Amino acid sequence: MTEKLAVKAVSPARPILLSAQNITVRFGGLVAVDEVSADFSAGELVGIIGPNGAGKTTFFNAISGVQEPTSGKLMLETQSLAGKKPHRFAALGLARTFQTPRVFGDLTVSENIRLGLKFAGKRRREYWLWGEEKNVPWALRDIDGILRLIGLDQQSSAAAGSLPPAQQRLLEIGMALSARPRILLLDEVAAGLTESEIEDLALLIRRLRDELDLTVVWIEHAVTVLLRHVERVIVLHQGKVIADGTPAKIVRDPAVIEAYLGDEMVEPVETVHVA
Amino acid sequence: MNSKELLIRDLLVVFALAGWGLSIPYFGSDFIISMALTCLMYIALSSSWGLFCGATRYLSLATSAFFGIGAYTCALTLEKFSWVQSIAMGAGIAALVAVVIGAAVLHLRGTYFAVLTFGMTELIRHAITYWEKSVTGTVGRVLTVVPERDTIYLTVLVLALGTILLSIAVRRTRFGLAMLCIGADEQRAQTLGVNTKLIKLAGFALTAAIAGAVGAAMSVRWTYIDPHTVFNPFIGFQTVLIALIGGAVTLWGPLIAAIVFSILAETLRLQAPQVYMMSLGLLLILSVLYLPGGLASLRWDTFKGWWLDAKAWYELRRYEWSGDKARDKARAKRKRELRFD
Repeated sequence: MTEKLAVKAVSPARPILLSAQNITVRFGGLVAVDEVSADFSAGELVGIIGPNGAGKTTFFNAISGVQEPTSGKLMLETQSLAGKKPHRFAALGLARTFQTPRVFGDLTVSENIRLGLKFAGKRRREYWLWGEEKNVPWALRDIDGILRLIGLDQQSSAAAGSLPPAQQRLLEIGMALSARPRILLLDEVAAGLTESEIEDLALLIRRLRDELDLTVVWIEHAVTVLLRHVERVIVLHQGKVIADGTPAKIVRDPAVIEAYLGDEMVEPVETVHVA
Repeated sequence: MNSKELLIRDLLVVFALAGWGLSIPYFGSDFIISMALTCLMYIALSSSWGLFCGATRYLSLATSAFFGIGAYTCALTLEKFSWVQSIAMGAGIAALVAVVIGAAVLHLRGTYFAVLTFGMTELIRHAITYWEKSVTGTVGRVLTVVPERDTIYLTVLVLALGTILLSIAVRRTRFGLAMLCIGADEQRAQTLGVNTKLIKLAGFALTAAIAGAVGAAMSVRWTYIDPHTVFNPFIGFQTVLIALIGGAVTLWGPLIAAIVFSILAETLRLQAPQVYMMSLGLLLILSVLYLPGGLASLRWDTFKGWWLDAKAWYELRRYEWSGDKARDKARAKRKRELRFD
């Protein structure tokens, strides 16, 4: 079904949604993220790659409010996010997943989704008690909608902790979606999955971007899958950005090849979305 | 059972309990009524403790502080205000103190939180003892205006049933869900938009308000109160024990355990106080080791599982004791030797 995917052309005119400027995170003497700047436009699907310890997750923590950056500026459209608490980040539309799924194991799948809908995802209703909530995409309207989207509607009353790892990863994405975000931050959602599961997941992520108009930032170790699906890649190495561009450009970048990809990736990567 | 059926079941049980509770003053002796009163007090205390501490897994030992604050407030205000107003004031002041304490210690977890809440309780107790001694020059308070026994009983009954109804309601709101999620993974809850600090403060204050109201209602039963009786840490400990043994996360666990405990307490305390304390400790150990979900997690399958475990254990022992095991071993050894010869 890959060839049937509707792919939107990337136009440079799209407004910048999230802008990180000179983000630095320091733990004592260790500089985990060193002056990283990156802009994320609305509706963009961006991948972040880099070797272990490159500071990918720390950068994620900084832009999702979990870790306050030592210095740097973080702007959501025209609003500064400096010093805001994580729950404010979520309410403003930045939702994230964690590397190891952090679902609430004792609660049911639908309760896991319900929390986000009732807190970060709560939008003003048109009428006080009933009536449609405003500015909510149809698929994210209620628990069932989100469960159908991630394909867990059969397991809605199962305990989240009893799900197999692949489904817990899906639920982790579903929980992030329940915050009804504008920007979805995915941290190694494909780790530990089989080839076909990764491919399904990548298609799901593409669908989220294409159908729900989300901006998706995706960290992944499975570089081949990532490069095939994203339209822009940021490469981090030792806390610094060493490359930022289209996948085709990235794989030919000598600095990236030396630091991370190695020789075998020089072959041009065939991208699913043809420009 | 879906959630609607569960709600109906829970409400029916509350209704039945209300009926029983209301009928006790009509046929019960003084002894029975006093036992029921203690029972209702611990139902209210441990249900409200479980409401916050069970869900968020914050082990608070400050119950006796809020209980004492409620009792003292009532003792001081009862002469000027009505019964209901005094109780409301007790609850309000306890909640206020909880907000202050909570703002200071709710960012801590585990042992630190438990020890600090206990420390705060002792601090409050000693502060009030000091105030009695050096400011007013007294050692306690004699309550002169005391409502009738039935009024006290009814008030505590209303508080206990109210607490259970409140637990039922809170479980179905997003407030209750948020508390459960804070207990499981606070940071994850934050990233889903939960203002965890606010939720924790609100939950802690709610628990304190109920403990304060119960303290205010119970204070008049003693007619004379001093810091050592109303700030007795034993009230706090027993509340925690009841909630844990019954199952702090469950709705009915604290209630079941409170009933079991009051009966145990009243029957054993007079004849053999040590036996009572020992059985308390034993029950706690047993429930922590074998029934971590508390009494409320007991199901028919639990008993069946125990029975099967015991049967398997007995089969194994019989196999050993009858000498079959030794014979089988010897036979296997002979077989091995034959093969290698």
